[in-house]
Amino acid sequence: MAVVDVHRFAESITCHAWSPDHSMVALCPNNTQVHIYKSSSLDQWERLHVLQKHDQIVSGIDWSSKSNKIVSVSHDRNSYVWSLDGGEWVPTLVILRLNRAALCVQWSPKENKFAVGSGAKTVCICYYEQENNWWVSKLIRKRHESSVTSVAWHPNNILLATTSTDGKCRVFSTFIKGVDTKDSKAGSPAETKFGEQILQLDLSYSWAFGVKWSPSGNTLAYVGHSSMIYFVDDVGPSPLAQSVAFRDLPLRDVLFISEKMVIGVGYDSNPMVFAADDTGIWSFIRYIGEKKAASSNSSYSSQFSEAFGKFYGSQSKSATANDASESRGRVHDNCINSIVPLSKAGSPKVMRFSTSGLDGKVAIWDLENMEQELGNQF
Amino acid sequence: MAGAAALVEADNANEIMARIETKSQKIESLLKHYKHVEALKTALDGSPLTTYDERCKSANWIVVHRAIMAIKDIDGMLNSLAAEYYDILMKYLYRGLSTGNEPTCEQCLIIHEKLIERAGLGCILRCLSDTNSV
Repeated sequence: MAVVDVHRFAESITCHAWSPDHSMVALCPNNTQVHIYKSSSLDQWERLHVLQKHDQIVSGIDWSSKSNKIVSVSHDRNSYVWSLDGGEWVPTLVILRLNRAALCVQWSPKENKFAVGSGAKTVCICYYEQENNWWVSKLIRKRHESSVTSVAWHPNNILLATTSTDGKCRVFSTFIKGVDTKDSKAGSPAETKFGEQILQLDLSYSWAFGVKWSPSGNTLAYVGHSSMIYFVDDVGPSPLAQSVAFRDLPLRDVLFISEKMVIGVGYDSNPMVFAADDTGIWSFIRYIGEKKAASSNSSYSSQFSEAFGKFYGSQSKSATANDASESRGRVHDNCINSIVPLSKAGSPKVMRFSTSGLDGKVAIWDLENMEQELGNQF
Repeated sequence: MAGAAALVEADNANEIMARIETKSQKIESLLKHYKHVEALKTALDGSPLTTYDERCKSANWIVVHRAIMAIKDIDGMLNSLAAEYYDILMKYLYRGLSTGNEPTCEQCLIIHEKLIERAGLGCILRCLSDTNSV
């Protein structure tokens, strides 16, 4: 089994993030606070800090690995950047100028900016102004027709991908004079104007969530609420888009564990593995806990997976030949809404990751022994 | 602007109606020869998903309904139906269930159960969330 540690922290967890050395986790137990827990030994978690500043539920937390700052955003339309000062976390208010809830947040790879998606159909890019000693927010107001559910930074620290409940995934440039240095390789000046939309992907009919870039920044993956996952290779003027439909309940978040392999988590409470084969075609491979079934490119393979066995159980007349009898031993009991990598930022492969969900558990998964099983795409 | 679009729609609609007419005749002949699966595939092919015209959708529904009701061997039918038809078939099953007509609902429910075994809950999700209706 790939799970290394599972711990139930609260009734329900909205979001979580790890400290730079992965010893502490910051999470929101579905209330207005951010709790920081430290693990002393296996399954011994001690609550160190409670960060209380927000008036409404904290919808996004991110912990920067180099500068050790926590950014939290909330439905109260505010965001705070927390810095560790003498053992206590000190908040700095960042005025986002939003008139609706903030939904998601992510530090940029260089950690000099962070992006916030909101229900006000805008994305806020915040950067630190040294002279005035405070965080300034620049808004991308155009283009989005509905709430921005998820944001993801490209490794080059300038491009930002967003997904929205209007079903579209967009890529913007967030070039800010004075913060980002002009790189002659990065493209023409016209392309690098702040808020300029580089690409819009119209693949989904329903709400889109969970966008992520692959480690090299060449591929994008995001999910739609219609049990579809979308992969876009060669993001740029002529992208190669693929829509993969899968059997079960929709996903909420994805993570690239290598250039050609993606883990999706969602309402099935069980992480799913997707991979691209040698010709570049993406497909569903297996659930993370299962034995690998006969490989097939079609997502509607005729194998009787445990997924249907669980719903039809004893009523199913057809004999479930292989491993339906083996208990799946699911880790999460409810929707998993967040998946966070636990490897060094910028490394091409992710060996460990954690998931948190509405059941209040955080599970840590390790892929160390699974390289054989996962195949050569990992 | 809107007028021009409406005009295009109307032309399109007539084309679609004509196509459905031809489809209907083809299906009748296929059913006479007991080629139920072929009939269903023909009925599902070229379904007018993107048009706004209700007549086209109803006309296509009548044709698909005919093919669905004629099926006796459901397992066999699903065995030979390619995966790309699952989503569109599910949409028509829901349309059938919404009619409230007893024999239609019965047939649709039976096919629904078996289709879920093969296609999974994702199929229902795609059917419910898709803005293009049948």
